Amino acid sequence: MNKKTIATLVGSLLGAAVLAAPAHAQNVKIGLLAGISGPIAAMAPGMLDASRLAIAQVNEQGGILNNGKLEFTIGDSACNPQNATDAATKAVNIDRVVAIVGPSCSGAVLAAANSVTIPAGVLMVTPSGTSPEITKLNDKDLVFRTLPSDDYQGRALARSLLERGTKTVAVAYLNNDYGKGLAESFKAEFEAKGGKLAGYSGHEGGKASYRSDLAQLARGGADTLVIFDYGDGTGLTILRQALENGFFKQYVGADGMKIDSIIRSLGEKNLANFFTSAPVGEATQALELFNKAFAAAGHDPNAVFATSAYDAAFLVALAIEKAGGDKAKLSEALRAVASGPGEPILPGEWAKAKKLIAEGKDIDYKGAGGDHEFDQAGDVPGTYALFKVANGTYEAIADMK
Amino acid sequence: MTLLDFLNFYLVPGIVLGAIYAVGAIGITLVFGILRFAHFAHGDMATLGAFIALALAASGMDPWVALPLAMAITAVIAIGVDRSFYDYLSRRPKILTVMASLGVALMLRAVVQVVWGVDPTTYVTGIVRPEEYFGILLRPRELNTLLTVVLIVVGLELFLRKSKWGKAMRAMSDNPDLARLSGVDNRKVTMLTWAIVGALCTASGFMLGINTELHSMMGWQLLLPMFAAAILGGVGRVQGAVLGGLIVGITEELSVFVVPAQYKAATAFALLLIILLVRPRGLLNGKVL
Repeated sequence: MNKKTIATLVGSLLGAAVLAAPAHAQNVKIGLLAGISGPIAAMAPGMLDASRLAIAQVNEQGGILNNGKLEFTIGDSACNPQNATDAATKAVNIDRVVAIVGPSCSGAVLAAANSVTIPAGVLMVTPSGTSPEITKLNDKDLVFRTLPSDDYQGRALARSLLERGTKTVAVAYLNNDYGKGLAESFKAEFEAKGGKLAGYSGHEGGKASYRSDLAQLARGGADTLVIFDYGDGTGLTILRQALENGFFKQYVGADGMKIDSIIRSLGEKNLANFFTSAPVGEATQALELFNKAFAAAGHDPNAVFATSAYDAAFLVALAIEKAGGDKAKLSEALRAVASGPGEPILPGEWAKAKKLIAEGKDIDYKGAGGDHEFDQAGDVPGTYALFKVANGTYEAIADMK
Repeated sequence: MTLLDFLNFYLVPGIVLGAIYAVGAIGITLVFGILRFAHFAHGDMATLGAFIALALAASGMDPWVALPLAMAITAVIAIGVDRSFYDYLSRRPKILTVMASLGVALMLRAVVQVVWGVDPTTYVTGIVRPEEYFGILLRPRELNTLLTVVLIVVGLELFLRKSKWGKAMRAMSDNPDLARLSGVDNRKVTMLTWAIVGALCTASGFMLGINTELHSMMGWQLLLPMFAAAILGGVGRVQGAVLGGLIVGITEELSVFVVPAQYKAATAFALLLIILLVRPRGLLNGKVL
């Protein structure tokens, strides 16, 4: 055989393999984007583990579509717009994912959605982008989230503080989509309900000293500082410098500050007057099922955003199954599987859901983090609790209404 | 606001911050003055040094005792980096080395992230409330920081002015070819420079870490103010770097009086722009050591 014949032969074999591929397996790939590095890096492992649990359950219980496997590719969105865009571009253009779970951080979501996934028509379900700005996104119904907008959290936190008798506060927020969005919602509600802001200022991340910022805020005379920042980034620096200098008596953070490294670095005994709000799953059977499965897989069910990351991945899988793998129908399918009415599906019940979808019946996923009845903008309502530091971890002390 | 409040919450933090910038800026200025390129891996080398000190401190050493040891280790690493990446490019246009240093920055950061993870951490758990000296609030670590910076600056200045090798470094900074003709071994001077730069990086990273937290991005975020400080003072001048560092640090802390706090980070940029427009050679006329 001469070289040409061999080349032709090999070429036709390869061609045959490529042609044959879709026929025998219907593997579907989704992208998991998380802030693996950057200011919320500590949260990323828990979130990825939760998403991977959902994917593992899908593959254990019959796989996706026609005996296919649900595959995933992981990208680092680094909690910043540039990395998120790069990671999303790679996932969409190179790995050819049909949907993306993530990215983390609101600015990252906005950038990746605007410049990559919306133009490409790829479904995005973020488990941790909470800025009210995401609600306003002109997203062709392609951007969803499995946790509530910070608009709810900022307002709930404002009401809780007033209820607890804190009438005057100073606010320090990180000047990005997350911090600013929260601060604005908080401010609006706090002032409307009769509270007084004695200081209100933003700050850039990554500086070594915030003492002058804090001194400036403390001059307003408030006893309480509300910090809308990430506890893995500047939030920790600010809290430390405020505590060391005794600028305020009480410190309150939002979900981004509910991070173990704050307790590790500052010491529990110094954090007696530190409170954080964070979304919590309502104590439902769905949450229990998730907790059990997640703990059995060797992970901590209390990890921040674990429930929303799990739900996002599970919902995406359900949507793919429902849409029969058709990328264009994914968002419609997502709404169908997430909203009532329909046969309720709980976390981990993939085999049951698959069977019902095959029979053409309507299903309604009741997630670990909530019911996920998406509204027009792809947002879900949520429940929050206020946490304090005790026994080396965060303990819920009150529900927030 | 009283005068003491001004000193305690604006000026003193500015001086401490400025002192840390200064040590970093000295390193940048040395590389620029002697090896003639902008070293972008400077911040991440500081991160690496700080984490090496953390590893030593974790074995039970007092962090301040671990510092000199970490400086020595990083000095060796800096020489290794030069040998493996920059030396190879030394005869090519300098812009290649500058870009290579950006790559080295990413590599060093990745090493830190792989070995120590991405969570923020500290040398000592807990918080330290300040002690009062005639109304001025200072923590032991801040006193130590200022003391260390003074020691480093005086020591380096003496070394450059008095010792044979210091003079060789200055000669090479003035004119490498003439220095070689006069018997200065350029290669050894380059190695010596890298050893000093590595040690200085560690000192700045360590002091930043002990005054705030350690995390893998800490050095990178420090790069801009450090470059601003070096250029402000006059590139290639040790005293200039110190002066520039202090000015940048204090200006950043005082800027909150004038502009909203979210523009604090921009003050280093603004200073850099102004100095480049008004006095491009820097306050102390840069270019020679």
